[in-house]
Amino acid sequence: MATGNIPQLVYSDDWSEHSSSRVNSPPPAVFGAVGPIRIASQASTPPRSVVGIGNKVAKPDYSEAKIVLAMVGLPARGKSYLSNKLMRYLKWLEYDVKVFNVGQLRRSRARQKAQREGVREDHTASWFSHSNSEATRSRDQLAEDSLEMLIHWLKQGGNVGIHDATNSTRSRRAKIESRVAKEKGMSVIFLESVCDDPAIIAANVALKVTSGDPDYKDMSREEAKRDFLRRIKEYEAVYETITEPNLSYLRIIDVGDQVSVCRIHGYLQSRIAFYLMNLHLKPRSIFFSRHGESQFNVEGKIGGDSALSPRGMKYARSLPDLIADNIGDAPLTVWTSTLQRTIQTAQHLTCTKLTWKSLDELDAGVCDGMTYEEIEKAYPEDFANRDEDKFNYRYRGGESYRDVVVRLEPVIMELERQENILIIGHQAILRCLYAYFHNLTQADLPYIKIPLHTLIKITPKAYGCDEERYALPIGAVDTHRPKPGTPAHPHLPAPTSAREYFGER
Amino acid sequence: MVAPLYTTDSGLLFHAGKILVVTVGLPARGKTHISRALERYLRWMGVKTQVVSLGDYRRKVVGGAQKLPPDYFTIVGERSKSTLELRAKVQGGCEQQIMNYFDGGGQVVIYDANNGTVKARQALAEKFDKAGIHVIMLESVCDNVKLIERNIRSVKISSPDYRGWDPDKAVADYWSRIRDHEKHYEPVEETTWPFIRIINVGELIMVNHIRGYLQSRIVFFLMNIHNRFRTIYFARSGQSLIEHSYKADSDLSPGGWEYAEKLKEFVLQRRAKSLKEQGLENNKERRLVIWTSARRRSHHTAWPFLSPPSSNVKVVEKPQMSEINPGVWDGLTPDQVRKYYPDEWERFVKDPYAYRAPRAESYHDLCVRLEPVLVELEREQEDLLIIGHASVIRCLLAYLIGLPASEIPAIEIARGDLLEVTPTSYGVHSQAFHFWDGPGRRGDDDDEGGGGGGGVKDEKNFYENYAEDTKGKRKIGYQSV
Repeated sequence: MATGNIPQLVYSDDWSEHSSSRVNSPPPAVFGAVGPIRIASQASTPPRSVVGIGNKVAKPDYSEAKIVLAMVGLPARGKSYLSNKLMRYLKWLEYDVKVFNVGQLRRSRARQKAQREGVREDHTASWFSHSNSEATRSRDQLAEDSLEMLIHWLKQGGNVGIHDATNSTRSRRAKIESRVAKEKGMSVIFLESVCDDPAIIAANVALKVTSGDPDYKDMSREEAKRDFLRRIKEYEAVYETITEPNLSYLRIIDVGDQVSVCRIHGYLQSRIAFYLMNLHLKPRSIFFSRHGESQFNVEGKIGGDSALSPRGMKYARSLPDLIADNIGDAPLTVWTSTLQRTIQTAQHLTCTKLTWKSLDELDAGVCDGMTYEEIEKAYPEDFANRDEDKFNYRYRGGESYRDVVVRLEPVIMELERQENILIIGHQAILRCLYAYFHNLTQADLPYIKIPLHTLIKITPKAYGCDEERYALPIGAVDTHRPKPGTPAHPHLPAPTSAREYFGER
Repeated sequence: MVAPLYTTDSGLLFHAGKILVVTVGLPARGKTHISRALERYLRWMGVKTQVVSLGDYRRKVVGGAQKLPPDYFTIVGERSKSTLELRAKVQGGCEQQIMNYFDGGGQVVIYDANNGTVKARQALAEKFDKAGIHVIMLESVCDNVKLIERNIRSVKISSPDYRGWDPDKAVADYWSRIRDHEKHYEPVEETTWPFIRIINVGELIMVNHIRGYLQSRIVFFLMNIHNRFRTIYFARSGQSLIEHSYKADSDLSPGGWEYAEKLKEFVLQRRAKSLKEQGLENNKERRLVIWTSARRRSHHTAWPFLSPPSSNVKVVEKPQMSEINPGVWDGLTPDQVRKYYPDEWERFVKDPYAYRAPRAESYHDLCVRLEPVLVELEREQEDLLIIGHASVIRCLLAYLIGLPASEIPAIEIARGDLLEVTPTSYGVHSQAFHFWDGPGRRGDDDDEGGGGGGGVKDEKNFYENYAEDTKGKRKIGYQSV
């Protein structure tokens, strides 16, 4: 075993805190513990080219997944909510997903026409009437065109194309089915959202008329509501719920309350079904907090399992009041990692606490316990490599951000099922979870700012999440490292729960 | 088998209450296969689960088919009074057994019986519903005659009912039993109770009124199982330059590369043989899928498979499959750990499954980490070779074989052995083949000579880290070639 040239270990507080044993001397310096290493490969077959100690992780091969997910449902039944939610989840799992919203296509075409010909099409409820044959033809044309765009996009390498339209009749669905059947390797799933709860429908209608829908730009709210309700009536007149036994479909009643699954096969398909079965609409908040400032934070070291610094302890003491100010005595469950800095941070909270191994900080492998300066000195190429593609860089003997996303997937599933949750976690872990809720890209993910001693409150809404941050006036070191060569405060898209009307801005 | 993420006072998980899964289906429709698979999976998640089989109960209290009155399986109207009484007695006893299991703290019972009429299902469901138990119908429908015939030949005629029968006569008898049932079989069409209908083992699934996490988990699992014939192979990765270190993630040693070549040769040979036995040797569509962890020694061990003569091979890297993390004990030998961490070592030895050393993973943590891999393992239709680490192979094997959690750390996985696991309807058939005696088989300093030896282990740890080296080895399906 190679043990030469390895600096002596420093088994300081870290070691004694863990061990109840009293030993006179620390363990010997061995390979694999703290300290830089560099071993040249002596392999008879050369390994793939790797610079330095870590390596770049490749994206999993999803090229075999080609799915058309066609929404079915009356207006105001949460179709866009489900498709957005699903898109965020699948994108987070690195599938290439795109929503093709027929309404958006209709609006942008109408706008082009208005600019070209100076004629403004009437898109009030009568346009959606089944007896208006001219409008029916043009609505059919729009649905077909957007399906063609979707199929074209799948051929270019997409994985899941979501056809966000009402697709409310059997004949329309049969057309989609036969069109997709012509494409080798593509399959179609229908996702019907049924909602009988008048309260949910009313809330959806209210959201529609107040969310800045361009269809209702020039109308009063009352007028808009009347028109939208009339539009729903027009659809109801011809609506046929899915019963076709030959189709592959998921039928979701009141968002996840009840689910019917028919002819669903394939791994991704079953994942989608499982995910949708776990969604709920109950209002709740998810709180993220990093552990209080730790001893390693103060020393500028990464990883480790150190205790809180005095300032970190102060944060832990302030946390119960901060939480109480926010949710009062509503039920709350706290999740921590198995590392003591998160457990210590939670120690004064009195609610149910669960520790999750999967919430442990990104494993920095051989760099665990080193400062960034030490890493830069010991492994200069690696340091540069990581900066170049932080999401994909895997520390030698440790993890990449991508690995962490894979490990957190069951946590996300559990989060979707739960109500009020406070996660006391670590920087990299919270970045990954945060990116899921705010739909941030992999390039941005490793640079999300999650400062110490700050509580982040995330409230899921129909088209995204609202966010509030509460920074406590307890000093702490800044552990954020911006990407070199970029402004210190990179511009990340501001989190928004507003509905996006593509092509309208 | 695997303890859950968290426990509750009642011992029931996921706030799901107690659930009775009532299987429905004609004979030879794979009900037992589905029941056993579900039981294995739920137990792995820590849910107290039991299959209660009406057939097994009847065989236990009355005896095999020869001991039954001739009208035992005929349609209702033609049965004699004594037969009806006998049937009622068997059924009543079986239901009592189910109730007893719930009363004893069990959470899920899978009642493996035909339950072929609406009336019988209604009576059963009402009885348990009154006792506060959620009832779910799980119907297995199969209209593929080939599948049914295969099921009869491979499973039914080897059952104790037909001990000593001529196979063809037994098959004919079984078909007549099925035809009797068909006369009064009513598929699940009533929506009174939640149901899951599985058509041709997963080809199509219909679900109605399924609520809550545990139930959705059951559906998710059922969507992913199949009964296509396939073989799952397990082998350890080759020896690396620096064994015993998690963080080193070192490259293969020259011996490791040699091992990789040998592994390829042997797997291709075994697989060709097993395909031939199944009459599948000319099926060019069948792929060999290889899963490795993201560790270099594991991934590199799969490399030779990517060069000729193997074809139709796909290698997938799964980051969840890294070996058990030894935490602060990384790089230490068991002797050193004993010396420097005596208290922790003692607790580890006492309960190697649940004990988590500082910053390490316990086997329980590892099992939780591997759960998504299990579902993908069920899902995979192709032959699968898992080139893994001893700790990971142990957990996966324990799941497939159905071993209790406490035995996981003691399963023997030697480098140089190929484990071959074939899923069957009552569980799995496993065999181990020894194909390699080179460096890294016995101890990392034992590179030259001293191979052969066949089973003589020296004191040195030949696993990848402390946690993988546990005493009291248990061998699985061992056989030499």
